[in-house]
Amino acid sequence: MDKTLYRLVYLSRNTITGDDDRLQDEIRGILDVSQRNNRQAGVTGALMFNTGCFAQVLEGPHNRIQDTFERIQCDPRHSHVSVLAFDRVEARYFSDWDMAFVGQNAQSIEQFADFNERSSFDAKALDGDTVFELLRIHLDEAERA
Amino acid sequence: MLAESVGASATGVAILDEQDRVVYANAAFAVQLHLPHAAALIDTLALSTWTHSASAQERDALEQQLRDPDASVLDLQVAGSETTTLYLDDRREGRRIVMVSNDWPMPGAPRNVIAQLDALTGLANRATYDEYVQSLSSSKEESPASAVILLDLDRFKQVNDTLGHAIGDSLLILAAKRMRSAIRSDDILIRLGGDEFVILQAHNKQPESAESVAERLVELLQRPFLINGHQVNSGASIGIAVLGQGTREPEDLLKHADLALYEAKRLGRSRYCFFESSLESRALERRNLELDLRRALCLRQFSLLYQPQKSLSDDSISGFEALIRWDHPVRGRVSPVDFIPLAEELGEIHAIGEWVMRTACQQAATWEGEQSVAVNVSPLQFEDDHIVDVVTKALKDSGLAPERLEIEITESTLMNNTEEVMQRLWAIKNMGVGIAMDDFGTGYASLSHLNSFPFSKLKIDKSFIQAEQSPRAKALMDAILTMGTSLGMMTIAEGVETPDQYKELAQGGCNTVQGYYIAKPMAPDTIESFMRSMQTVSITPVG
Ligand SMILES: Cc1cc2nc3c(=O)[nH]c(=O)nc-3n(C[C@H](O)[C@H](O)[C@H](O)COP(=O)(O)O)c2cc1C
Repeated sequence: MDKTLYRLVYLSRNTITGDDDRLQDEIRGILDVSQRNNRQAGVTGALMFNTGCFAQVLEGPHNRIQDTFERIQCDPRHSHVSVLAFDRVEARYFSDWDMAFVGQNAQSIEQFADFNERSSFDAKALDGDTVFELLRIHLDEAERA
Repeated sequence: MLAESVGASATGVAILDEQDRVVYANAAFAVQLHLPHAAALIDTLALSTWTHSASAQERDALEQQLRDPDASVLDLQVAGSETTTLYLDDRREGRRIVMVSNDWPMPGAPRNVIAQLDALTGLANRATYDEYVQSLSSSKEESPASAVILLDLDRFKQVNDTLGHAIGDSLLILAAKRMRSAIRSDDILIRLGGDEFVILQAHNKQPESAESVAERLVELLQRPFLINGHQVNSGASIGIAVLGQGTREPEDLLKHADLALYEAKRLGRSRYCFFESSLESRALERRNLELDLRRALCLRQFSLLYQPQKSLSDDSISGFEALIRWDHPVRGRVSPVDFIPLAEELGEIHAIGEWVMRTACQQAATWEGEQSVAVNVSPLQFEDDHIVDVVTKALKDSGLAPERLEIEITESTLMNNTEEVMQRLWAIKNMGVGIAMDDFGTGYASLSHLNSFPFSKLKIDKSFIQAEQSPRAKALMDAILTMGTSLGMMTIAEGVETPDQYKELAQGGCNTVQGYYIAKPMAPDTIESFMRSMQTVSITPVG
């Protein structure tokens, strides 16, 4: 199996309807499945969400990312998937996380909402690095807390 | 039907790619070989995963048989004392189907299955479709409304051409998987060939059922694919025909779905359309027009009319624009608006364009004065170097001075392949021929295009001339005229029909005008008398 690592960053529109509890439940479900599947596939990464959208980073071997992404693509809980970056990388950033989760505290949700608004979901206005950087900052903060 | 049953069949089926990697395996295949579930087999090497319990001898045999493109059979130990039989079908287009069964041989069956499978995607193929249609036709009882959903991947050719066939193949495989995830388990998914897929749906809730699947497919396939480190964007255009709802005969389903697909593409792709009978009559009409157009040149049904262009500085006729006319014995006069796009689509535009260039130069060379002749050139003609030869030859054969020829191009000419197009434009300009920008103001990026080439003339689109007189419209017109002057380009206004328009343009500093107010397009043999009449009476603006 090819060991070359790739990193995918994408943004999608959250189509989960219902109240906050429902949203929390669905996210919990996504994270549980992701952690289980990703560990098995050797994929790591992070997921960020707010009521409007998802942003996700996936790292791992090319075909594992491809498989995972194809599965995620067919998920009706989101739509308008746009890939911001899909590049070869030297090392994993999220090597310890099967699927880290960012965006639970109010502040980070707000921050995310802000860049969502600025882009008015014109994902092309953001590059993969920006989202990646945001995800990274949030993770660092979560670590320190 | 068959591909469906292959998925659930007790016979193990796997498909290998050129490198003997597994691209498809059904559940039974994994079970028979004592391997983890089928999905985990995808992308593994046959030789390394299948031989986990085999002897070294068996392993070598498999290695050898894999190398051999012909069909062969092999016994393989899969667990302790258990042995299974592998049937390696012959390699076709780099793909190979492998079947496995505990009770080999199964007389007849495997060949049949193989013949109905698409080797790349593992889906059913054309043969399955034909069988299905036959079953519909021969069935006595009232069959449920059957829908044929014909799907064509957008930009597939482009992906193949720019990223290579391997990536094109991967796209087909991934797209097929997405389709499978979107359809119901009793729908049948078929790869007809190339990038064409069919979904057969037999239930009573039509067209709702077909519509909801089509909607989902369009959405799903629009999403990006990740292939070989690339992000690949495709999409799907879909045509649907439903038996008993516009389509009476099963044999017509595919033809009708195809017409609907054509319509979906015409409307801008990434969408679905249902068949309607008007599509059929329109297609028929189009086909006839196509046939007529293809022979129009040979039958000498084209002619050129010339519309005078008047210089505002000295009130003289400075040139003529050559305008093509198609007079068909039955259709009458067909407008260029109707046949030029078709000629472009059919590729006929090259021959027609060449004829126009040659004829215009020849006729202009017979004029007494030194008036210029403007010839429209299609963006398609600029797609290869031939246009340079066409101009060279037309000038040489007619003896027309290059300075008297002007070619008119539209902005879309500059949209693709800019580098090569620029070279061709320069080659023609360097002969001394004028290059005018036609329909100025209607394109996308007018200003950047003006900067990219030293056009000799700007032809202001008639929509500006004929626009409602308002301070805004006037300001816009003035700005265009000023810009032309400061860039050293002549300006010509087309579609001038009233004295007011004429006066405005003269005051605004426009160099040349063309339109009914000056004269209608005229036949070549009337030019001489027209010119003579101009010498005696000169048109002067009224008021
Ligand atoms: C925004 C989003 C991100 C997801 N991320 C992952 C992921 O990283 N890994 C994963 O296996 N599933 C992920 N899923 C869930 C998949 O879409 C799908 O439901 C799941 O992989 C099915 O797994 P199962 O077949 O094991 O039930 C995600 C879903 C959404 C909506």
